[in-house]
Amino acid sequence: MNDKITILRGQNITKKYKSNGRKVQALGGLDFSLQQGEILGIVGESGSGKSTLLKMICGMEKPDEGQLFHENEEYTGAHIGKTGGFLQMVFQDAYGSFDPRMTMKQSLLEIQHVTMDEILDIIKKVGLEPELLERKPRQLSGGQCQRMSIARALLSHVDILLCDEITSALDVTTQAQVVKLLLELRREEGLSLVFVSHDLALVSQLCDRVMVLKDGVCVEAGDTKTVITQPKNAYTKLLLENVITVSA
Amino acid sequence: MKTKRSLKRKLILSAVLAGILILIAIFSEVLAPNDPYQTNAAMIRKAPSAMYWFGTDNLGRCVFSRVLYGAKTTIFATFLLVAISFVIGTLIGMLCGYYGGIVDEALMRLADLTLAFPQMVVAIAVAGMLGGGLVGAMIALGITMWTTFARLARSHTRTVKQEPYITAAKLSGKSGCYIILRHILPNILEPVLISALTQIGTTMIGISGLSFLGLGVVAPQAEWGSMISEARAYIQIAPWAVLFPAGATIVTIIVFNYLGDALVEYRNHP
Repeated sequence: MNDKITILRGQNITKKYKSNGRKVQALGGLDFSLQQGEILGIVGESGSGKSTLLKMICGMEKPDEGQLFHENEEYTGAHIGKTGGFLQMVFQDAYGSFDPRMTMKQSLLEIQHVTMDEILDIIKKVGLEPELLERKPRQLSGGQCQRMSIARALLSHVDILLCDEITSALDVTTQAQVVKLLLELRREEGLSLVFVSHDLALVSQLCDRVMVLKDGVCVEAGDTKTVITQPKNAYTKLLLENVITVSA
Repeated sequence: MKTKRSLKRKLILSAVLAGILILIAIFSEVLAPNDPYQTNAAMIRKAPSAMYWFGTDNLGRCVFSRVLYGAKTTIFATFLLVAISFVIGTLIGMLCGYYGGIVDEALMRLADLTLAFPQMVVAIAVAGMLGGGLVGAMIALGITMWTTFARLARSHTRTVKQEPYITAAKLSGKSGCYIILRHILPNILEPVLISALTQIGTTMIGISGLSFLGLGVVAPQAEWGSMISEARAYIQIAPWAVLFPAGATIVTIIVFNYLGDALVEYRNHP
């Protein structure tokens, strides 16, 4: 029996956008759940609804239908400022996630009730030097900036991290370092992660469970190992074949 | 293609020229050799001389001193009008761009409506209703001027709003006002400020134009537009009374337009 707490849950999440006068479905009745300390991978091609789902989860946008729950408390349509109390987001564009005119220290000090001691602790935890706090985003490397972004998320003392293609702009070595850091943080802080990526190979290394999205619908979900080794859906098989072809 | 260095030189030169004009305006009372309001029946319409460098007008007043005093009126009225329009327009533009919705729609349609008429036509009508005077002229021009800044600020705000650091600030629980003032304003300020600089020349023409038509500064206050208007009646016998204030207007507009262009070129240079 699974005794882990379901920390985040979505039921029948539906979202449609207007495009050229007609409605296009971005998400079609999606169900998902995230257990405490779990890493849930969400994969799919561009336009499959991955980023839209993250926008719904963090409150940037409101779903047309469906409900979202944090620890069984519904928060559908809650303001993004409220969701920030239990989840934070790490963005694909690490540089763009910091105000270009502010130093890292200024950006991190913006978080409510945060002290300089806390910042220095977290900076150490994510493997960065305190001197980097005096720099502006463009004065850091991509990997350093992404670690700063993770540090900012951790400073909010949240339970959930939403990671939106966070390694796609990094080189392979830095990708591996960031993945290692996320695994350490999960182990040490008990964080739960929603890890959005189009990189199935990366998802297979990092995630406990995976959801495969196509045209806003979940076509396959389950334990990562099972989905990767014994895919049932043709679309998942196609994604895997592409990974194998590229690897070969 | 111009190099960054040559553009920097152009920028410095134009800034120095603009600085000189501003200093002249500030110290006009010290620099003026005569009282610009002192009439002298014995010196009516005298040609430029060692005593009256720019000659005298129809009332025997020193044109050079009046041009210097006029610089203060014209330049500072222009700066004040541009500054007020800049603040109001930028604030409205940021609020519209950030919050969107019905207030955005209403204000932007109002801006469209205002821009549907030529600025000077609206200004003449409004200044006419307000009954003239420098404040009236400034209000008349300001009614249309804020829209330029509002539209520009709105457009830049909508772009900056999409940046992940704004989402991060929202997730950190920051209020809309905080995000607008701390994150959006500093990141859109540069292009809107440059636009404000390029508006100085146009605004100066507007203020002088309204004064020329008798809808701006009223006699006997020294202002370039009203000086030209007063002196045009006797332009054939005392052309200096028109040429010097007109020259001062042209030079000042050229300098500030040059400064605006230099800033735009310097900023846009790769």
